Amino acid sequence: MSKVQEVAAAVENGKVKIVAGLVQEALDEGCAADEILNVGMIGAMAVVGEKFKNNEIFVPEMLIAARAMKKGIEVLTPVLKAQGAEPVGRLILGTVAGDLHDIGKNLVGMMIEGAGFEVIDLGVDVPAEKFIEAMKENPDVKIVALSALLTTTMPAIKDTIDAIVASGLRDTVKIMIGGAPVTQAFADEVGADGYSEDAASAAQLATKLLG
Amino acid sequence: MIIIGEKINGSIPSVAKAIAEKNEDFIRDLAVKQAEAGATFIDVCASVAPEIEVETLKWLINVVQDAVDTPLSIDSPNEKCLVEVIPVCKKPGLVNSVSMEGNKVDTIFPIIANTKWECFALLSDDKGIPRTAERRLEVFDNLMVKAKQYGIAPARLHIDPLVEMLCTSEDGISMVTTVIREIKSRYPSIHVSGAISNISFNLPARKLVNMGFVCLAMNAGMDSGIFDPLDKTLMGIIYATEALLGYDELCIEYIGAYREGIIAAPAVKK
Repeated sequence: MSKVQEVAAAVENGKVKIVAGLVQEALDEGCAADEILNVGMIGAMAVVGEKFKNNEIFVPEMLIAARAMKKGIEVLTPVLKAQGAEPVGRLILGTVAGDLHDIGKNLVGMMIEGAGFEVIDLGVDVPAEKFIEAMKENPDVKIVALSALLTTTMPAIKDTIDAIVASGLRDTVKIMIGGAPVTQAFADEVGADGYSEDAASAAQLATKLLG
Repeated sequence: MIIIGEKINGSIPSVAKAIAEKNEDFIRDLAVKQAEAGATFIDVCASVAPEIEVETLKWLINVVQDAVDTPLSIDSPNEKCLVEVIPVCKKPGLVNSVSMEGNKVDTIFPIIANTKWECFALLSDDKGIPRTAERRLEVFDNLMVKAKQYGIAPARLHIDPLVEMLCTSEDGISMVTTVIREIKSRYPSIHVSGAISNISFNLPARKLVNMGFVCLAMNAGMDSGIFDPLDKTLMGIIYATEALLGYDELCIEYIGAYREGIIAAPAVKK
């Protein structure tokens, strides 16, 4: 097994304690940082996402895989920065106003990071103005991802999108939405660019929307 | 949870037969299966006539330690027998058991004083099994005086608060849980143990009572027990309870035990 594959296996299996060391070893052996990122991190998280989608692994296993990935990213980031490498994209994420649920939103954030994005997580119960503010502060952001877990807070997704339209910034970003009660039909109705039903699909969708 | 695997006990008819026939394969199989299920100690109890207990226990010890690396729990009501078999063990294990009856403690503690052996201790004394929590804690205090005297650290002790059958108890297990909580508050590193199935003696569907008991006892502070690690439902309840008590971050141990096939939900009959 090559060092990069060892890194990928450690991330997939959530071996939080050994990932940083393995990444360093891979770098020392002359592996390219972007290869470690693409295969060892992003590739491994794609496998994890797929397993989660197929009900082969449980939420905590996905969480520790993401934690393991973060340990690897910490070692890789300074190397990539020195090489002038950029994240594949930047994305704003948040649970909409009135909704305090964060577990699903956090999973989505982790998986999207796992796909190579830099995620700006605004947290939960985020008013529409705050999304717009963040978009203005980060003009290079290409995607805004909105989450809602309750049928009662789903309308806040629509309100947020309407506010983004009213602010004149709608054309600068793609908007993706998700959460337990959210459907593709709802996404079409409120004018979102995409919907995904779980965290793994969300990461795939983000990559696709960047297109 | 510290698991003391109970399956190699001469009071179980199939094991008694294997002992009588010196059937090594039978004993070895029980040892391997319990080790694979995650037993911390493998108990060996001869339950034979006193004149052949030492040789029988030595035979059991050798069969088991040749088969697995798991430390042994050497189990005999006779402390003199325990003293004779300790040197046969390749690595330190658990002496099962002492109490404040007779000379048990003064016989065993000096021998294990400067070793890594652990010791199972019952809260009874020459007056029998105390009827109240206060009296049991008195016996416990007397035991800890001895432990201190011989330099046995609390973390090496497994205290059995003595669980008696539920069907004749007047207060369920509230007296026992009071004792457990008090012991753990005085010595946080001490282990509280016991045979899990005693509670359900003479009741139907005993497993249900055992499972309810183990949750409540663990909630009070029990962290060690003598039971069958091949019982996947009981093991599942124990792993689940540890997660519920917050000892298993992200339920990783629980999920791991599930993946390894150590735990399983009981089949639902309709």
